[in-house]
This record gives sequence, structure tokens and C-alpha cells, in this order.
Amino acid sequence: MSFLRLFGPSAEFRRRIEQSREMLYRLAFAWCHDAPLADDLAQDALVRALTREAQLRDPERLKSWLCAILANCLADHHRRRRSHEGVDALENVEADARDRPEESLAAMQLAQRVRTEVARLPLGQRQVLTLVDLEGFSYAAVGEILSLPIGTVMSRLCRARQALRGPLMGFASPSAARIRSVK
Amino acid sequence: MSTMDRLEDVSREMQNAFVDGQLDAAEWSAMLERLAEDAALRRDICELRAAKDLVRGAYADVKPGGREPLRSRGWRGWGIAALLVACVAAGWTGRALIGAGGDDGNAGQGAAALRDLTADRILVHVSSGNPETLGTALDEVEDLLRGARAAGRKVEVEIVANSTGLDLLRVDASPYLARVATLRRQFPNVTFVACNQTIERLREHGVAVDLLPGVHVAPSALDQVVKRLQGGWVYIRA
Repeated sequence: MSFLRLFGPSAEFRRRIEQSREMLYRLAFAWCHDAPLADDLAQDALVRALTREAQLRDPERLKSWLCAILANCLADHHRRRRSHEGVDALENVEADARDRPEESLAAMQLAQRVRTEVARLPLGQRQVLTLVDLEGFSYAAVGEILSLPIGTVMSRLCRARQALRGPLMGFASPSAARIRSVK
Repeated sequence: MSTMDRLEDVSREMQNAFVDGQLDAAEWSAMLERLAEDAALRRDICELRAAKDLVRGAYADVKPGGREPLRSRGWRGWGIAALLVACVAAGWTGRALIGAGGDDGNAGQGAAALRDLTADRILVHVSSGNPETLGTALDEVEDLLRGARAAGRKVEVEIVANSTGLDLLRVDASPYLARVATLRRQFPNVTFVACNQTIERLREHGVAVDLLPGVHVAPSALDQVVKRLQGGWVYIRA
């Protein structure tokens, strides 16, 4: 550990951590589909990161390091208490859609439908899928973040996409989404 | 079905790797050749790509909301640098620093560092409801308080609980009701703070939260941690 690190995180480190909050929240939300819990997890990850700058060996890998911390926060949460995550929690997330223009209503309903299907996936698949799809991590990086062999990353991703394809293909085109939105 | 036949040639994992840009140059070229001659494979790839786009789109607008964002609380004033300088001045070693950041899996690691601390204002962050972790944290806090009192040293200790760690301060869930009450009675210099975010979350799930008498409530554990760090407190994670 560098002695200088004892004098606190650099301004650049703090700035980058601060900028990562939204990313961490989005990822946490995609993992648990529970807005307050996602907030807790993201905040917990940020606090842990801020007190552990010395453990970040390569500043270029800040994003994957933060994601690994977030994954640990979620794992700790599950260890402590059986998760109450579930599809029903999704209902709380939806904003009031009644006054939205039809176009954005359709988009919201589509997003909600996709989230519901993602929430049905086993957590391991959900994490791999969202790290790849939302954050654009390579398979190798996902393996490092979740401490998984790359073969497991690929097979989980494969199963996740297979599970999603059927339910979601009817929604793939904007026109299909709109038809459903107006019933 | 024709899809199954084709999978013998191009595995689903390879299809996904193609969609995710994870193939090397040779594999990429081979896949392009197959795509040129296989309409069903093209359809499969299209569907995988659509699924990927749908997932990405479904979370694109997800942003922290409903609660005051960290940013607006003035992160620029984050006092952790001052805190760490204070820790070094107080003889807090690198070992203690690592302990402060310890995982919950290493129960008590952070608390073990507590004994050696000579700082006078210490925040202990409890986010695990594991009775062993909670018990160790209470043991260490009590040791610290007794040691300081015996040495005539003035210390302030604040225990901030969130997530499942909030159990410590809940009348209906705390495994250490009597201990917390005794600690409060014996040491007026220890305070207990509950995270309101966790309380709200529990209430949203239909759990009534009844806190022990005298427990303070902060908007969030992080708010409280930030506030204390800015005030020069030492942060320890139990």
C-alpha cells in the first residue's frame, strides 16, 4: 500500500467515484428490481470504494472494480437475509403513466415488460446479462467481476438470452409495443 | 426444428459471442460466412440482438431518484482526506485502515482495529444483521468505552445501522436489546443512529419498524457517514 494513499483518496478518484453513482444504481436496480434496495446497495458500494482506494491497483479498471464491490454488497445482502426481490416489487417502480403521451407510454410498458422478464431470471444469469448488456463489459471482465470462469459467464448469458427470447420477441418492434399499449 | 439442427454447427454461445462482439477475427469471419448462407441463423442472430437491445433500453432511464442524490449533498466537501490525516496523526496504522474496509465476511475485522484506536470520535457502521457480527461490534465498542473511561480519555462513539444491521436497533428484531440498553445507560457518550432509508424500505414491505428508545434517525446511513467524516470522525465498518 502506498503511504501517500493514507492521506485520502485523490480528487480525481473522488470525482470518478461520484460519476459512477448512476451506473452503480442502474446495475443494482437491474439485479434486485427494488429501488430503495438498489439505492442502499449503490451507496454501500460507494462507501466501501471510498474507504478502499488503496485496493484499486489499476485506476483504469475502476468501473469493473466498483461493479465487483457492488456484487459483493448484493451477495452480503443475500447472505444476511433471504432476498425479498421479486416480480411484485416491480409494481412499485412504475411511475404514473396515465398522462404520458402514447409513444412514451408504449416505451414504458415495453421497458416494464422487459424488466419483469429479466427479474424472473436466476440472479447469476441476471448479473451476467446486465453487466454485458447495460455496461458493455467483455466476457473476461464479467468473469473477473463475479469471480467466475469465462465458460460459466458464457453459459449463463446463453441461458439468460434463451429465456428472454421467447417472451420478448413479440415486443421487439415498436409497432408491436404500441399495439399492446393501446390494447 | 431447423434451429436445433443448425445449433450443432453454430453453438448458441458462439451466436451470443458474435452479438456481443466477443469473437476473435477468425471466428468472426467464419460466422459471417455462415450468416451469408443460413437465413435461419440470421434470424436467430437478429433475435438475440433484439433481446440485447431491449434489455439495454429497459434500464436506460433508470436513475437514482425519490431520495436526495448524493451529489446534491456536496460530495466536493467529502472530508475523508482530512479524516485519514487525522487517523495517521492518531497513530492509526495501515493495518487498521485495511480493517476499516473489511468485508462483512470477515466479521469483526474492522472492530478488531477498534481496540487499538486512540482517536476520540469514532463512527461504527453496522450493515449486517448477523448476530455474531453485531455481538463482536458491541464487544469491541464496550471494550473501547471502558478502556477510555479507565484512562480518563474522552471519546464519542456513534453506531450507525442500516440494511439488515438495523435489526440491532429494532425492538422486535434485536438479538441484543438488553445490551444496547445497558450500553446506553452506562455510557452517555455512545449514540445509536438508524438509517431512515432502511426504515422506509422495510415499511414499504409491510414491516413495522419499532426502534429502541433513544435511537436517532438519520436520512440515510451514508448521509450520516459523510457528515461525521466531514467532522473529522474515524470511520470503522463492523
